[in-house]
Amino acid sequence: MYVAARGGEGAIQNAERLYRELIGHFDAETVRTIERAMPYLIDRVMGEGSLYAPELAALALAQSGGDLYEAVLMLRAFRSTQPRLAYARVVDAERMLVVRRISAAFKDIPGGQVLGPTLDYSHRVLDLAVLEGEPTTQPRGHEELEKDEPFESLYLRGEKNHLPLVADWQRDAGLLPMLPVHPCQEATEIPDVTREPLLFPAPRAMRLQSLSRADTGGVLALGYANMRGYGAVHPTVNEVRLGYADVEIVHPITGEPFSIGRVRVTHAEVVTAVEAAPAGNDASAGEPAKLQLALGFCATVGWNEVKTIAGAMLDMAMDLPDPHPSHTEEYVLYHTDPVESSGFCIHYKLPHYVTFGSELDVVRSVGAAKKVSGLGDYYGDGSGLAAGMPGVYSERATPPVSEAAGEQV
Amino acid sequence: MASICKAMSRWRVSVLSAHLLSVLSRMPARDVVALADDVLASLRDVRVIQNRTGIVMLPYRDSAKGVTFHLGEVLMAEAHVRITLPAGRQVEGYGACLGRDVRHALAIAVLDAALRGGVQVERIEAFVTAQAAALDAQDAALLAKVEATRVVMETF
Repeated sequence: MYVAARGGEGAIQNAERLYRELIGHFDAETVRTIERAMPYLIDRVMGEGSLYAPELAALALAQSGGDLYEAVLMLRAFRSTQPRLAYARVVDAERMLVVRRISAAFKDIPGGQVLGPTLDYSHRVLDLAVLEGEPTTQPRGHEELEKDEPFESLYLRGEKNHLPLVADWQRDAGLLPMLPVHPCQEATEIPDVTREPLLFPAPRAMRLQSLSRADTGGVLALGYANMRGYGAVHPTVNEVRLGYADVEIVHPITGEPFSIGRVRVTHAEVVTAVEAAPAGNDASAGEPAKLQLALGFCATVGWNEVKTIAGAMLDMAMDLPDPHPSHTEEYVLYHTDPVESSGFCIHYKLPHYVTFGSELDVVRSVGAAKKVSGLGDYYGDGSGLAAGMPGVYSERATPPVSEAAGEQV
Repeated sequence: MASICKAMSRWRVSVLSAHLLSVLSRMPARDVVALADDVLASLRDVRVIQNRTGIVMLPYRDSAKGVTFHLGEVLMAEAHVRITLPAGRQVEGYGACLGRDVRHALAIAVLDAALRGGVQVERIEAFVTAQAAALDAQDAALLAKVEATRVVMETF
């Protein structure tokens, strides 16, 4: 229950001023520095904000003092002010400019394993010398990267950087079932959580879109709970692919597609063996269930491996029957939206005087009826609290409690 | 034969226009704006039909089950212009780029209209060709560094 309240404008203005003073001054140069120096943080904000706009993500971070949920909220709020001008052509993961591509399932995948830019295999040691004014330490081998001349000509001839999807290779090898044929779909017909309510069971397009814009921490927490054994999924990473994807739109005059630029994209698959759905009379024949490989999938704008791997695991979990909540689509998708969840959490800071007053009445009633020692002493008769309560509550007398009412509670 | 040549010419301009836009959208805005400013001097009456920011939805294909879904939205700027050629004919041009730089988009639209109107074509083509080569070289340099991170595994 809510009650309208007035007052506090001056305090609110001073609170914002104090906030600004404490986080310090920022300007366009600060924003450019954040954008340049913290691409992974920028990517996280853009992914969860569901808007690829590095400059604005950096501004949101500067403006919020680095509070991720505030930054994501600002980006989504900005997004809602912008008209949708176009739908891009569907990104083909094979045509991306791939900078990192690994598989934990197979070592010899077509196109090979390319580590790309990563700290995965490095020591996590603070470079304290930087604080003394020394330049950042370059790992050994850096010079060798500059000397790899032959690659350039191979790349320009299109012989390098062709990295077919591991899943397609597995299908060709008969390890995975072939993809079902989906009818051609206009981009405007793809289910869209920004335009339609999320209902369950959700169309797969909505599930994947929700995971794409989900809170990294939320997806990781649910995914990790599942991986640790609370759920039923412990798969292997089939492929992680990081790259730059062209955003291609159609020229409104000529009808020719063209790229308006590139965005960073992460694509992750996990694989495990699951029981195949019984076909025909197999189930009634009482034959043991057959196992087959199945994939879980997640992708997002920006480079964010943790979210996409955990998201792919949750995608797989949501298809498997299990009592753990991480197997339930409604539980996973509703609780991992960063704006919905953080917004609901912080809304509790708003005045709830009447709600709490009502709760207090109940506690006092129970205490009076059942003579609960300790609890009644703690809350007293409410007269000390009444001064802080708005209108109605402070003017109310303590409600009489009947024995019957007390026993009902 | 004349109609085939005309159709081929239109197709070439369309393809060239798409290539031009793809290159110009990835270039630094200041270079594109500088070229467009030069080209504008030889155009009569440039009318801006649309110049604004907005978002473009980016669909992606799920490799597990083949479903297409919306990966997220991307901030873009677009411009739509109509120019009047010295002969009086009107030609429209379109430009778009990532981000919110409406001047960048406007400059691309002017160059697109100029190209399709036959104004300073050689100069624009030369500019785009040089820039495309520079962008390819950047990609190649990046991918050479990526290639140096390739893992060659041994089986024991």
